[in-house]
Amino acid sequence: MLSIKRRRYVTIVALIVALSMLAVGCGGAADKGADSDKEPAADVIKIGVYEPLTGTNAAGGQMTVEGIKLANQLYPEVLGKKVELVVVDNKSEKQEAANAVERLISKEKVNVIIGSYGSSLSMAGGPVALDAKVPVIGCSPTNPAVTLDNDYYFRVCFIDPFQGTVMSNYATGTLGAKTAAIIQDVQQDYSVGLSSYFEKAFKATNGDASIVAKVNYNTGDKDFSAQLTEVKSKNPDVIFAPGNFLECGILVAKARELGITVPILGGDTWEAEEFLNQVTQYKDIYFSTHFTAEEPVTEVSTTFLDEFKKAYPDKEVNAFAALGFDTYILALDAMEKAGSADSVAIRDALAATKDFKGATGIITLDENGDATKTAVIKKVMDGKFVYEAKVDPK
Amino acid sequence: MDDRKNIKFILNIVLLLIIGIFLWWGQDNLSAFYIRILNLSAIFAILGISMNLVLGFTGMFSLGHSGFMCIGAYVAAILTMSPASKEIIYFMEPIVPVLAKVQWPILPAIIAAGIVAAIFGFLIGIPALRLRDDYLAIATLGFAEIIRIVVTNTISITNGSLGLKNIPSVKSLWVYWGIAIITIIILKKIINSNWGYAFKAIRDNEIAAEAMGVNIFSHKVLSFTIGAFFAGIAGALMAFLITSVDPTMFRFTFTFQILLIVVLGGMGSLTGSVISAVIITILMEVLRVVEQPFDLFGLLQIPGLPGMRMVIFAIGLLLVILFYRQGLMGTREFNWDYLLDKIHSFKKRGASM
Repeated sequence: MLSIKRRRYVTIVALIVALSMLAVGCGGAADKGADSDKEPAADVIKIGVYEPLTGTNAAGGQMTVEGIKLANQLYPEVLGKKVELVVVDNKSEKQEAANAVERLISKEKVNVIIGSYGSSLSMAGGPVALDAKVPVIGCSPTNPAVTLDNDYYFRVCFIDPFQGTVMSNYATGTLGAKTAAIIQDVQQDYSVGLSSYFEKAFKATNGDASIVAKVNYNTGDKDFSAQLTEVKSKNPDVIFAPGNFLECGILVAKARELGITVPILGGDTWEAEEFLNQVTQYKDIYFSTHFTAEEPVTEVSTTFLDEFKKAYPDKEVNAFAALGFDTYILALDAMEKAGSADSVAIRDALAATKDFKGATGIITLDENGDATKTAVIKKVMDGKFVYEAKVDPK
Repeated sequence: MDDRKNIKFILNIVLLLIIGIFLWWGQDNLSAFYIRILNLSAIFAILGISMNLVLGFTGMFSLGHSGFMCIGAYVAAILTMSPASKEIIYFMEPIVPVLAKVQWPILPAIIAAGIVAAIFGFLIGIPALRLRDDYLAIATLGFAEIIRIVVTNTISITNGSLGLKNIPSVKSLWVYWGIAIITIIILKKIINSNWGYAFKAIRDNEIAAEAMGVNIFSHKVLSFTIGAFFAGIAGALMAFLITSVDPTMFRFTFTFQILLIVVLGGMGSLTGSVISAVIITILMEVLRVVEQPFDLFGLLQIPGLPGMRMVIFAIGLLLVILFYRQGLMGTREFNWDYLLDKIHSFKKRGASM
C-alpha cells in the first residue's frame, strides 16, 4: 500500500515540477516569439553582452554590466534605431562562455558583442565569434593572448605587458628603486603576466641581479608570513605584488605589520573597497589603473562620473564600470562610422579606431586590436585612493 | 531465445543507423549553436558514464574526475598545437624543447590523452584505493587539486595559469558523438563481462565478494583506471571544443557537475547517465530564458535575475534526493529486453482476451 501511495506522491511532485518548467518554458517561448516578430522590421540593433554574473568572477562581471547599462540608458539609439542589450551570464565557466557567445550569435543574432571580464572566459568566447565573423569588444581581459590571431577581438583596456612596464618605469624613474622583489599569485594569469613583464622591464633598466626575490602564493591563501619574511631578508627597494584585491589586501597589511616600509606596487585590481579597507592606515602603496575621478582624462569621463553617481548613488565609481561604459560607446561609434550594423563593417570600423574619447582615456586600437592609452597611477593616502601620476603610452 | 538475440541485433543496428542518419542530417542542417550544445552533451555523457563506472558500478566514492580531465585536456592541447603558436603563447618561459616541435593529428592525440590520464589514474589509484567511502572521496579530491596545482606551476610545460590557446578546433558531431557511442559500447561490454560482475559484487558487498575469490584491490584499481582513461578522453574533447584550456577550468566544482549528472541519471545506469547528461546540458541553455527579463501575461514585468537557472537545478536535485532517490533510471538500463517483454506480455494479454 505504502509503495503505491509513495509512487503517487512522486508522480504528483514530478507533475508539478514538469508543469512549472512548462510554464516557464512557455513564458520564455512567448517572449521569444514576440522578439522574432520584431526582427524582420529590423528597427532594433542588438548588442550582446556575455559576462560572469554568477560564479567566482561575478563581482567583476556585475560592475561591468552596470557600466554597460548606464551607457545604454544615456545613448539608447544608433543609426536611427533602438539599441537592445542582450545580457547573458557565463557562470565564470569556459564552456558556458563559449555557449553564451554561440547563443548570442546564432539565436539572438546580435551585431556586435561585448565581454568578458576574465581573460580565460574571453579566450573561450573569442574563437566562436571569429568563426561567425562577429566582432567582440573586451572590457577588461588583460591577457595578451586574448586578441592573438583573432581579427574580430578588440579591447578597451590596456594589457599586462603595458601595465607591468608602466609600474617598472614608475618604480625606477619616480621612486628611484634599484632592486625589486616580486610576490605573485601563480594561479592568476593576470598576476603572473604582470609580474613577468615587470621583471623584464626592470631587469632591462637595472641589470639582471635587480630582481632580488620572486615568491609565489595561491589564490585563497590567507597567511603570507613565509613569503614576506623571505622578501624582507632580501631588502628590496620596492615590492611588486599584483593580484586579487582580497589576498593582496591581507598581504600588504601583513607586510606593514612585519615592518616592511618600502613602497608596494600593484595593478588595477587593487582599486576596490575591500582592498582599501585592509590598508587604510598605511602609505606608500601604489597601483596602476584606468582612470581617475580627480583628474578626468576626457570630457566623456566627466559625463560618465556624473551619470554614474546619479544612477548608482550608493556605489563607488570603479574602473570596470567605466570600461563597460567605454566598450558600449565604442561599439556605437563604430556602427556610426561604418554607417551600418553589418558585423564585418563594424569590425573594419573598430580596427580603424583612432583617438577615440572614452571615459577611461583616449583610445587607439593597434594592429592586434589592443588599446594603447594613458595609464593612471594612484596611491593610498589618508585612507583614500589618491591620484598620483599619468603615464602616456610611448 | 535465439530469435530474440537476432531481433536485438537487428534493433541495435537500426538504432545505430538512426543515430547515424540524425548526425549526418544534423551536421548540415543544425545551426552552430545546436551543434555546440550537442557536442557538449556528448562530452558530459562520456564524463557521466565513466564516473558512473567508478561510482555506480564499483561503489567507489571518487571525486577525482576533474583532475583526470585536466590531464587529458592538456595532453591533447600540447600534442596538437602548431609549433608556431607554441612559440608565441609560451611567452613567459619557453616550452621544453622536447614538446616544442610536436604536432599530432587529432585522433592519436585523443587516445594519448586517455592513456596518460589512465597512467595517472593507475598511479593515484594504488595508494588512494586502500581507503573507502568518504575517506576515498577526500583523498581523490585532494589528488585532483594536486594535479591542478602542479599544472599551474609547471610553466615550461603547461604555460601555467595563462593557459593555452589556438588549439585546433573540432566541430563535427561525428567526432564527439562517435567517441561517445564507442565509449558507451565499450563500457557496456565491460559491465557485462567478468570484470563487470566483479565490480558489481564489490559494490554490493566487499567482504562477500572477497570470499567468492574476487581480488578486490586489483579490480578497484582497474575500474578506477578505466574511469580515468575516459575522463582523459573527455578532457581532450573539451579542449578541442573550446580551443583553449587553463587550470581554473578544472576546479573541483566541475566534478560536482558530473556527480549531478550521475545522481540524476541513476547510479548504476549507463543509459541513465547519458540521458541525464543530454537533458542537463540542453536544459542549461533552455533555462536561460528565466534569466532574461520578460512579461508575464502582460501583467508583471519580471526583471532578469542571473543565477535563476541554478536555483531551478538546485530545487530539482533536492526533489530527486528527497523523493526519487534512485534517480531517473535507478540501476535499470534502457534495453531491448525490457521493451520486447512489454510487447510480448501485451500480445499475450491480447490473445487471452
